[in-house]
Amino acid sequence: MRVILITMTNDKEAPAIEIKGLTKSFKGHLSIGRFQALDGVDLVVPGGVIYGFLGPNGAGKTTTLKILTGMLSPDEGRIRIFGEKAYGTAVASRIGFLPEAPYFYEYLTGRELLMFFGRLFGLPRKLLKERASYLLDRVGLTEKAGLQLRKYSKGMLQRIGLAQAMLNDPDLVILDEPMSALDPIGRREVRDVILDMKRDGKTVFFSSHILADAEMICDEVAILVKGKVVEHGSLDVLLERDVHFWDVSVKGWKPPAKLGDAVVVNRKNNVLLRIEREKAVQEVIDMAREAGGQILGVTPHKASLEDLFMERIPEG
Amino acid sequence: MKFRQWSPVLGLNQMWAIAVNSFREAVRSRIFYILMAFTVVMVLFSVVMSLLTVGSRSKIVIDLGLTVISFLSVMTAVFVGIGLVYQEVEKKTIYNVLSKPISRARFILGRYLGLMGVLFVNVLAMILLLAGLLLIFGGFTTGIFEAAGFIYLELAIITAIAVFFSSITSPVVSAICTIAFYIVGHTSNALTQLLAPDLSSEFGKGFVTFLYHVLPDLNILNVTDLIAYKIPIAEGFTEKALIYTAAYVVILLTASCMAFRHRDLV
Repeated sequence: MRVILITMTNDKEAPAIEIKGLTKSFKGHLSIGRFQALDGVDLVVPGGVIYGFLGPNGAGKTTTLKILTGMLSPDEGRIRIFGEKAYGTAVASRIGFLPEAPYFYEYLTGRELLMFFGRLFGLPRKLLKERASYLLDRVGLTEKAGLQLRKYSKGMLQRIGLAQAMLNDPDLVILDEPMSALDPIGRREVRDVILDMKRDGKTVFFSSHILADAEMICDEVAILVKGKVVEHGSLDVLLERDVHFWDVSVKGWKPPAKLGDAVVVNRKNNVLLRIEREKAVQEVIDMAREAGGQILGVTPHKASLEDLFMERIPEG
Repeated sequence: MKFRQWSPVLGLNQMWAIAVNSFREAVRSRIFYILMAFTVVMVLFSVVMSLLTVGSRSKIVIDLGLTVISFLSVMTAVFVGIGLVYQEVEKKTIYNVLSKPISRARFILGRYLGLMGVLFVNVLAMILLLAGLLLIFGGFTTGIFEAAGFIYLELAIITAIAVFFSSITSPVVSAICTIAFYIVGHTSNALTQLLAPDLSSEFGKGFVTFLYHVLPDLNILNVTDLIAYKIPIAEGFTEKALIYTAAYVVILLTASCMAFRHRDLV
């Protein structure tokens, strides 16, 4: 059954992206059975943030992005972009999109590519020329503007891809794995461009499995596993909420050789206990005090995005 | 940023941009030059053949030359046409294009127009070469330009068939189907005339007649013999050919757009 609810509103305060109950399945191998790529995805991306859409390979990230940009039709569910139905020409005018490992017409030069895409947006020729020059400069490709794309490196292709995604000065930029297959310099350049976009008031929604990059620049994230969102929210709140372990430093106390699951590190004048369970922290503190020990400090270590990610992904 | 509001003019501009890009793609590809070079060689070969032949040399040059131009242009139409949509999906270039505010129908029509532009240049260059050879060796007739026009009409139908198959299936299947249509298109008239009288049942006769009307009859666009033997083209023939071609192209491109409209681009 194919049920697609489309709601027509044009609320300026509406979230950049609103996804409700999105499902999508594909035919299985040799057309036997069906593979459930998305299984009731709910997501709200507020305006003006950098939103990381994270998940392991095959989680359904690219499928979601393809539905958002009109390449695929969902089986069920509702999508709204700035409160409007996805994916009409009005919405498309406000979006910039960079697909995964972008393939461009390799016989075109960098400048020709931007001119071609600009014409699809209906940009007047003079404005388009200025815009193309500005963007080539912004992504550092002015000197390579006359070179055919077949001679571009992966990093250069990613940068021209970002330039074409900014051609129409979009309110929402959707990027599929923008940092994959790039070296550290390339990744940093892409991160900088994304941060610039946010500074310009744009919403950036990007998929990635490079968690370190996402942690550096995202305001909010969602983690997608096997077609379902298993975690979402502000990165600060998510990482604040999840304390990974505590370090308890005690002076004048010799703890027993085995103390639950705590890791004991004996130092010259004190002892450091690394404890994972919050409840165990208080127990250890009480035990140390009873034995005459002096608590020098209790330091919670918050989870990194990678810790959060690994916790939310079921084994196997 | 200031955009042009959507209007039929913007729609045409977008289609034109796709067409120009498709044209650029073809003329910057090796296959285009290989086929062009092969056509030049074959046209020159037809002149050599005529020199070795007893009889009307110019008729042989015209006949063979036009046949070579027609056949190799059809091959260009088939082999570029079958990848026109499929390749964009396969190479993933389509994701960038269709995420812009352009409809899938305008994309298909733009791609078609781009290839027709390439074929125009192709046929024009070859016919000018043939005209030059006829001027040198004698036997020049302006009829070869008329013949080129009819070749172009045939190419319009073949390209539309290739685009149709390209928008629903893989290049290999598209190539087989398009070439099958080309062969059937050149034999449907003869087959119908041969088969229909021998069929006993009314259903059989009706079916053959139905097939004849559904499948293209490309022979009605073939005027090579008329031009070679300087037989004037009948009055109203050109108009009928134009209407026939236009109807076929419109139906095929409409079907292509409809098939492609809801296709998942995985």
